[in-house]
Amino acid sequence: MQSYEKAPTVSTPWVKLDLERGRIDLVGDSYPVNSFEFYQPIVQWLNEFLTQSRQAVHVELELTYVNTGSIKSMLELFDLLEEAYQAGRAVTVLWKYDSRNKRALESAEEFSEDVSFPFTTQDTFIP
Amino acid sequence: MNSLDLWELRQQLDAAKILICFNGPLSQSIIEQLGLAVKRYLEAETLDEGRLYDVFAVYIEQSQNIQNYNARKAAEGVPGVVWRYDAATIAIGRADAEHYLVTSGNPVARADLPALTGMLDALAGLDAEGLKTRFREQRRKPRSEGMVNAGLGLIDMARKSSRPLEYQVRDMDEHTAYFHLIAVI
Repeated sequence: MQSYEKAPTVSTPWVKLDLERGRIDLVGDSYPVNSFEFYQPIVQWLNEFLTQSRQAVHVELELTYVNTGSIKSMLELFDLLEEAYQAGRAVTVLWKYDSRNKRALESAEEFSEDVSFPFTTQDTFIP
Repeated sequence: MNSLDLWELRQQLDAAKILICFNGPLSQSIIEQLGLAVKRYLEAETLDEGRLYDVFAVYIEQSQNIQNYNARKAAEGVPGVVWRYDAATIAIGRADAEHYLVTSGNPVARADLPALTGMLDALAGLDAEGLKTRFREQRRKPRSEGMVNAGLGLIDMARKSSRPLEYQVRDMDEHTAYFHLIAVI
């Protein structure tokens, strides 16, 4: 197992999976036509990481637009994190959003309602 | 000579306040490039980022629903198909002074229509809270169930629209209908 990085495209975010730091970063837009295919390696990586290590996991998301297919995949990631958290793992998620977009915080809240691990939101807009 | 009069077509689109219109088989790169054009246009004319992303989201969900439907039909290997299910018409424009219009049409196998129109009719009767509940239920359904992703897309469009989604169905041939979806945001 190793760290993984993927450059962003118009419809997919920058992805960084850092093995040493136990950290996942997703930055950008997420609307691939086949979200399952795009997120499968990320879900698999997290799954392996959680099986092989006892390390804390930190996830940082800065996603401007997430299509419904990506929302389903994001839920899979959160389900894995929740399961690990319930089993005693240190799990934190930071959701960065731009407050000029009234929908951005709404979608974060719809995810956080489903989880019990620390889920923080941070407004990145500087007036 | 071909009878298409582009000037007439253009005047028709202008009269309907259409800003961007596409007709032909969809691909991911066409969806992306049209999407960027939609975003740029809206950025120039609205300061409300939330609304910009609502229009953008409805456009993406509509076009990806068509693309995914075509992929599903291709995988089913429907015999004797003459229509391309991704041969879409998509238009983005103004519905009135306060609202935007995102509308699309594509061929749909008649056999698939009842599930689609049934879902849209059910969504039309729900308020914001009802749609939210439906969305939360639907996003938990396994992908393997046929229309799960398309359904999630429809609920998302309904949530972002300012009135219930409307549709029209026209005959193409005995197996195929032209399905036209209308969202006002």
